[in-house]
Amino acid sequence: MKKYWKFAAIIIVIVLSIGTFYVNSATSAKQYPEFVIQTHSGDADEIKPLVLEGSYTDTTSMNYVSTNLKITADGSTYNSRSFLDQVIGQPPTVVKELQEEYRTFMRGKDHLVDLFFENNQVLAYADVNYKMGSLRSRDFKFDISVLNKEDGNINSFTMEVPDGGELEYVFVEDVQMVKDELTLITQNTMRNNDEFYDEKHIYTINMANQKISNHKAINQVPEGQDDTRIDVQLIRTSPTKANEHLIIVKTEKKVIEDSESIREEVINQEIISYNLETKEKEKINVPELRLDENQLSFFDGSTIYFMTLEGQELVVTPYSLVDDQVGQAFSIHLFGEEDIVHGQLTIVKDGKLYLASSQMNSNINADVIVADVKTGEILFKGQLALEDSSNEHGNFELYMHEMFVN
Amino acid sequence: MKNYLKLVNFELNRITKLFAVLLGITFVTQIVGVIVVSRDYLNMANEKLYEEMMSKAVFLESFGQMSFLQIVKSVWFVGPIALCIAGVAFYIFIIWYRDWVGKNTFIYRLLMLPTTRLNIFYAKITNILIMTFGLVAFQLIILPIEMLVMKGMVPNEFRTDMSVKEIVNSMPELTIIIPNSVIELILYYGAGLLVVSILFTAILMERSFRWKGIFAGLIYSALAVVVLISPLLLQEFVLNGFFYPIELLVLEIVMGLIVLAASIWMSGFLLMKKITV
Repeated sequence: MKKYWKFAAIIIVIVLSIGTFYVNSATSAKQYPEFVIQTHSGDADEIKPLVLEGSYTDTTSMNYVSTNLKITADGSTYNSRSFLDQVIGQPPTVVKELQEEYRTFMRGKDHLVDLFFENNQVLAYADVNYKMGSLRSRDFKFDISVLNKEDGNINSFTMEVPDGGELEYVFVEDVQMVKDELTLITQNTMRNNDEFYDEKHIYTINMANQKISNHKAINQVPEGQDDTRIDVQLIRTSPTKANEHLIIVKTEKKVIEDSESIREEVINQEIISYNLETKEKEKINVPELRLDENQLSFFDGSTIYFMTLEGQELVVTPYSLVDDQVGQAFSIHLFGEEDIVHGQLTIVKDGKLYLASSQMNSNINADVIVADVKTGEILFKGQLALEDSSNEHGNFELYMHEMFVN
Repeated sequence: MKNYLKLVNFELNRITKLFAVLLGITFVTQIVGVIVVSRDYLNMANEKLYEEMMSKAVFLESFGQMSFLQIVKSVWFVGPIALCIAGVAFYIFIIWYRDWVGKNTFIYRLLMLPTTRLNIFYAKITNILIMTFGLVAFQLIILPIEMLVMKGMVPNEFRTDMSVKEIVNSMPELTIIIPNSVIELILYYGAGLLVVSILFTAILMERSFRWKGIFAGLIYSALAVVVLISPLLLQEFVLNGFFYPIELLVLEIVMGLIVLAASIWMSGFLLMKKITV
């Protein structure tokens, strides 16, 4: 046995050293601070269904590794960064739930919530695929799958995108399905003689004969007006929810170039409601409303809530599509610092407006507000906070990027 | 089993010198690195505080505290690790070819041993593995020592202390050598073992058929790589992301085991039937 001592010693050292390292790292897992939603006024029950998703970064040690977390009324939970969890991936909660329920259908589908549509009968998915060529992208194809929930049939096919020759990039913003027609709203980047420009397109695809039944561009800049730019935004809705209407905000801007600067001036803003079934456009008139680029506005299927920030006030103007009438506007006071009130998340669900600030650190506080959208009455007002603020936590950054209401 | 252990021990004794040299270089260079980097920081702090009359708070605000990461990111720390990796990679070939050189070729005696010849293969591959793990274990042992040296040199208010795990986590290059979890450790070093087994097979092919064997070895390696990544290729180009990531991981592990078994079988066959001295 004596001649094996070197061998034995090396093995023992290896096992002890590596073993200690992994035992230590398992027992001394990094402690993340616990975040809670502190109630300042109102009913704490109002935030029970609220889920905030974001990322936490400890900035003390110049080591910017961020960890994803969820904050609810019960406190915060950090995503485990274990190897297997990373392999499985962490798709958005909505996609994760769909994967669990429809495992076969969800194979090979991108993890973007906007690409899915769900109602009681079907689960639909639509995306645009293309090949990267040496000079430009080519072979743009719609990739469409529709699952019939009743009999479990999957109808999937690909078809060419019309006018694919001019396309450079296509981004699907929303998918809707009315009866047997699938509608895709896309942001297309087109190329024309080395000039790039963006257009929003609506494609309507008939599922029965797998053909495009309707296709139109929303914002084509009129010829010969090079100084005009048209921005088109969709008013946000619940990502997978069915809607009969699309609400489109079309902002026409004039680019003014003088000797010192280039600036843009809004010359016209139109709000259009597009009926997916009848394909009719209708103009919505809200006097004295000027929407900014914050994209806070929200459409819950029957009422549009236009939201703009004016200083520290969030002004909410409801507009009912049912009787085409502007409702009583109200405003909510945010208590965030004067110049950092931008970066808010908003959602309207079941007659309640949920609002949360998207950024928090040791100097900036983040609001969480729930208000009644009919009356403007504030039902809950609170702030994100560290559970035990007495402890030294050093510098940190918390970014909330998604909000859900269950 | 006893023959195998004897062979492993025997091979181990042949590399202890090289191994000790690598450990020595690593230890000395890294300790020097700790001292040099800490002193650089302290010199800079002295200059700012006493010559430019900067206040301590302002200095810390603009230059930050010193952390062990600065040392880990310097060439003093990474250099010896790279040297050790190169050493092991080189030794994968030397471990076979050294037996063929010299007057009375040693491989002759090895092949004549009254035991299955595959044991030679097992013993050599075990040695590569022990050597690699030995280097990793040594690094894990000297890291706390190096941190102590830094603690002794840099005063409290000028440094942030990190645990060994935090340091490893902040360096993606280090997490390859010292993975985050035991599962990853097994997967990473399993993959390494697989690569070594493929290389060993290629080397044995060369030893069996000389020039023709080099081609055979290259073809075998290419084939092994194709088999290994075939699930990934299928996923990407044929099935359009059909598999969920976890299924892909299991498939890859199965593929790895198949290639490992094929390499061992092939090496056994070559050692038994085709090897020339």
